[in-house]
Amino acid sequence: MAVAIRHLEEFDDVESFDCGDEPLNNYLQRYAWTNQQKVSIGVTYVAIDEAASHTVLGYFTLATSSIPRDKLPKKYVRGLPPYDLPLILLARLAVDKRFSGRGLGHALISEAFKTILRVADDVGCRCVITDAYRDKAGWYARYGFIPVEGAERDGPQKMFLDIRTIRAALQQGKK
Amino acid sequence: MARITKNKTKEAPPRKQIRKSKFQADLAPSEDSMVRALKTELQLTSNTDFLSDALALFHWAVSERKRGHRIVSESATGERKILVFPHLERVAPELALPRIDIHWTRAELENLAELASKRPAEPTDALIRAMRH
Repeated sequence: MAVAIRHLEEFDDVESFDCGDEPLNNYLQRYAWTNQQKVSIGVTYVAIDEAASHTVLGYFTLATSSIPRDKLPKKYVRGLPPYDLPLILLARLAVDKRFSGRGLGHALISEAFKTILRVADDVGCRCVITDAYRDKAGWYARYGFIPVEGAERDGPQKMFLDIRTIRAALQQGKK
Repeated sequence: MARITKNKTKEAPPRKQIRKSKFQADLAPSEDSMVRALKTELQLTSNTDFLSDALALFHWAVSERKRGHRIVSESATGERKILVFPHLERVAPELALPRIDIHWTRAELENLAELASKRPAEPTDALIRAMRH
């Protein structure tokens, strides 16, 4: 199966997508297109089988965000640039359960990292944040995401990855 | 007999009073010294002139970035540097990713700031493989 990853398109078949998690299915089926095209709060990339080019096998969504410098504790801002802290949010990533175990998650996160680096090179960005389900935090940790401690309640685990670590990986990958 | 007509002098329209806004800023000592040094270098005597020039420059930068133009400085030897300023990038049309706000607790912000100000971690094997993919 030849897989391609591209922007979500209006007539992609998202209704049959089932990753086994209702909120992630629901996001793709109900909100991803609207959020991308109409209200512009997230761009969704989909993995598709080139032989059935509108069937979505997996997806991820990216958005940008930032943290105002004055919200950050003073003892740390000296080590940071004198601006708001710009970041990219890896908002969602899911694979249809019929296609799990075939390396699609790895392909999706690879594409996400490459897109993130391109955006970071164009607009400047310090880190990537993802809100991971706690039982999936280990999967993100394999790629170097570090848990951000201090959430108020149980729920998704915010995880951090420095853009410079991704750049270093790109360099090391070329060797 | 010549008629002498008096030209009626048109009454000047009442002068519109230009309302001026006051602008006040709390500057850190280092920023205050920067303003003073810049005023001296640029031979500006008043804060109003300083702010007016700074505003004109910022307005120009925003309008250039809105048109998709990049702001570049070039040295005499041709070495180029591109200005990347996060607030300006928000108006850039080629910015493909939209912007959203995330809720952070104080403790999360503290931990995030600590992580972001540290030296970056070494990439993991999986990350290196992902970048080769």
